[in-house]
Amino acid sequence: MRPWTFAIAAAACVAASTAVGHGAARADQKLTRDRQIVHVLNRLTFGARPEDVEQVRRIGIEKWIDLQLHPDRVVENPQLAAKLEPLATLHLAMWQLLDQYPAVPAALNIKLPSSRAFAMLPPAQASRLMYCAADERETTLAALDPDTRKLILTGAPPQVLDGLSEPTRQEATAARKAEDEQRQQELRRVRPPLSELLTQDQIRTMNRGTLAEKTALLDSLDPAKRPLVVRALPQQALNEVPAWRREALAANQPQQFVHSELVEQKLYRALYSNRQLEEVLVDFWMNHFNVFNGKGPERVLLTSFERDAIRPHVFGRFHDLLLATARHPAMLFYLDNWQSQSPREDLPTPPGVRRPGLNENYGRELMELHTLGVDGGYTQADVVAVARAFTGWTIYDPQKFAEFQFNPGVHDRREKVVLGHVLPAMRGEQDGLDVIDILSRHPSTARFISKELAQRFVADDPPPALVGRMAATFTRTDGDLRAVLETLFASPEFAADAVRQTKLKSPLEFAVSALRALNADATDTFALAQRIADLGEPLYGKIEPTGYSNTSDAWTSTASVLGRINFASALTAGQIAGVTVDRARLAAADAPAIARGLLNGPASPSTLAALQRGDGVDNKGKKGASPATLAAVILSSPDFQRR
Amino acid sequence: MATRRYFLRASALAMAGVGIAPWWLVRAAAQGGGRRKILVAIFQRGAADGLNIVVPFSEKRYYEFRPTIAVPEPGKPNGAIDLDGRFGFHPSLQPLKTLWDEGRLAVVEAVGSPDPTRSHFDAQDFMESGTPGRLAEDGWMNRALPAAADPSPLRAIAIGTQLPRTLRGSRSAVAVNGLEQFHVRNQQTAGILESMYATTADARLMTSGRETFEAVKMIEAITKAPYAPANGAQYAGEFGRSLQQIARLIKADVGVEAAFADINGWDHHSNEAPQMTQLLQQFGASLAAFARDMGDRMEDIVLVTMSEFGRTAREDGNSGTDHGHGNVMTVLGGAVRGGHVYGRWPGLEPEQLYEGRDLAVTTDFRDVLGELVAGHLGQPIDRVFPNYKPVAPLGLLRA
Repeated sequence: MRPWTFAIAAAACVAASTAVGHGAARADQKLTRDRQIVHVLNRLTFGARPEDVEQVRRIGIEKWIDLQLHPDRVVENPQLAAKLEPLATLHLAMWQLLDQYPAVPAALNIKLPSSRAFAMLPPAQASRLMYCAADERETTLAALDPDTRKLILTGAPPQVLDGLSEPTRQEATAARKAEDEQRQQELRRVRPPLSELLTQDQIRTMNRGTLAEKTALLDSLDPAKRPLVVRALPQQALNEVPAWRREALAANQPQQFVHSELVEQKLYRALYSNRQLEEVLVDFWMNHFNVFNGKGPERVLLTSFERDAIRPHVFGRFHDLLLATARHPAMLFYLDNWQSQSPREDLPTPPGVRRPGLNENYGRELMELHTLGVDGGYTQADVVAVARAFTGWTIYDPQKFAEFQFNPGVHDRREKVVLGHVLPAMRGEQDGLDVIDILSRHPSTARFISKELAQRFVADDPPPALVGRMAATFTRTDGDLRAVLETLFASPEFAADAVRQTKLKSPLEFAVSALRALNADATDTFALAQRIADLGEPLYGKIEPTGYSNTSDAWTSTASVLGRINFASALTAGQIAGVTVDRARLAAADAPAIARGLLNGPASPSTLAALQRGDGVDNKGKKGASPATLAAVILSSPDFQRR
Repeated sequence: MATRRYFLRASALAMAGVGIAPWWLVRAAAQGGGRRKILVAIFQRGAADGLNIVVPFSEKRYYEFRPTIAVPEPGKPNGAIDLDGRFGFHPSLQPLKTLWDEGRLAVVEAVGSPDPTRSHFDAQDFMESGTPGRLAEDGWMNRALPAAADPSPLRAIAIGTQLPRTLRGSRSAVAVNGLEQFHVRNQQTAGILESMYATTADARLMTSGRETFEAVKMIEAITKAPYAPANGAQYAGEFGRSLQQIARLIKADVGVEAAFADINGWDHHSNEAPQMTQLLQQFGASLAAFARDMGDRMEDIVLVTMSEFGRTAREDGNSGTDHGHGNVMTVLGGAVRGGHVYGRWPGLEPEQLYEGRDLAVTTDFRDVLGELVAGHLGQPIDRVFPNYKPVAPLGLLRA
């Protein structure tokens, strides 16, 4: 018998034996069942919305969980599509993102003739200029026609100029200065400074004026001038209005713009998607396979990483998920594998050229964080062997295309031994594929992944018996993640009274659940994302490969408690830009009723008592706090911090 | 200093007389005699490359092992700053040279954990709990705080959004992420919330809640007065901001005994040199600013820096370094016997390296921290570092 029905039956028996009448028995039954529904919603979603409890009641808990496990059977919220529609970068391939949103905005990437000059030289001359001794280089330069020589001296790498005669060096300096002036002129034409576009008063208005004043000013500019002004203003002056903010960001910091759309979609999905479990799992796996957004250009690669490597596999096979992350340029870049090369002592090395070598970072984190876990039974020798296996797994033209490429030229072809498995020599890319196979099938992986999932969904310290059964499912189904989740959700440990309300919400979970509880509408998520970062969880911003914690102790601290209290009051007071709370909805009732509405159940006795004691406080001096204030207090309460 | 104590007492009593002194001010004044000793712990997260921070420029192997990222010898362009003929600071640490020359800054070489882990996660946890090889529930710095009848809510502070493992434990400690913002926006609700958290069944939230509201009251009182660093001290970057908050809290005389801040970004697996230069600029400038800002109060303060492990002696294939073992710690303060490199230098010959790849550990980090806890805070260390006997005193502090 499934645990849910067992629990209901047990509750019914208890109720029947103590009830004073049928009505009371039915009420008790409903209460217990509702508590189970709320528990399931708390754990499988980013927080229950007011209508969610009724929906689960109607179709039944088991059916609802099953639907969530098969999101294609869930009708998606049309509001979500509308919110995501303007975020065009979400659909672009990596090469398109790199092309349309380069690190240096195209307009500012001024290419002058000197950048092509070297490529135009006959190869023999170019190579003499790069590698020969000073007098040879001097002669070669003298032989060039004056115009070409000037271009070469301007654009040449430093080693070309090393040790040349004084007159030549002076010629080079003069040529470089001349080209630099040319570049500055071109820059001023493309991006005129603010002082050339607006008067001092107008600049002051844009920096410190009211929204109405700023809007009036921008609207008054002629269409040719307006975009130049937007690009010249400091980003801060424009952040208030989403449309201005996006325009300036896209023009001045294109890669930051791409990242901002990724953050926006994450929050919109968490807030609006009906396929909540899928979103919770995408968040879980993005954390598990953490990639930091601030290391470098791979910021724009994150959009594809989440969309192409993570999302498609959250209900699939762990092996496929692991392989997708191992091959994705975002991961190859973040953990340095793209530069890891076999130290080829047999290859000739030109003087002054240093060949890169092996980088262990990915090899270690692959085992420690992604699969086996730190106690999973690997050694330092295994780390090196895995790193050697993955040499050659690199990125083709990271700045223009960023596609996965296997480069046999840097692959370590020798035999390797990984966790006791011998990988014969000379098999190229297969080495890495074999390691992925070995690791996905390793019993430590089954246990490690099962434990992490149990931490997220059940308890910080999950019952070993449950983890064992999940690991058994993992092994039996060859890493079928949906099956492992089914084992988890059907388990008595998941449904147990003892685990209800025992996990502390992360900043993301807290903020999103607060908005969902209030049925708030978000039209812009910039301010919300900033607040979540201030609470300690900058999205996609965990520097360490460990990702954000699945356990509660990461989130209990004074800064955290205070931050959440202030977030709640700002939210209900309508002070979070882009988020609207329907205050009329709260107009009902007294404090306990508001509490019940937001918590989907009765508040704890201590919370109710504190509310009763304080209910006389109002900022207008009238008796009784405003519903908005009461809502803020509930959302700040210890009750709401737990799920 | 006598002037300050006198002023404090006079003002507190005067205010108490008028009935408006905040309770913590009265308490601080009453504690009068005996200046409080303060320990500040700084954690460099990510395994800082000690060999490039305090450069062993007299070792030929150093240059052999690091063809592209070694810091040049003193005297060469971008060369190390000579400290004692064998070791030198990375040039970005120029602001710390004066402190070295004045004998207020000491370096401990080849220091670290006996545990062999090269996992950031584990090693940080072990170092912060002070129990290498075994994870403790609490942190060494929390255990170093003596029991107190009526401790100040701000006696142990960490700058950041989370309380670090170092300060977790039975003594109350507070994480502060910005003094100016540390108050409840809607004052009307503060009372209800304080009551809610004080009575909740959830023990973790009750403790965090109580500590929050006590700290809020104290910090609100502190931030009423504007703050400017003294003696022209100029802090740099995020790390500088953290140290400045610590300085401000110490100067507010609210009973700070232990403070913690961390600085991220040291995990240089590739392209180490420019990243190190930038990071050390912020690091060095801010430490020097802190000393300058605190002025003669540095007599009562000891600041110690640490990182979970060092990095490989040889550079890796990408002008970076991989995870290593032995590292460097620095100790700063008026009571420090500075201007000296402590610890037994094991050498960089291949047979002297740990597992043939890393700087070996010849001094346990608990020896350094233990000496500071015992010598500066005056606390016994058997509780702080259980099952550990320090080998021999390093002599980091003046008698």
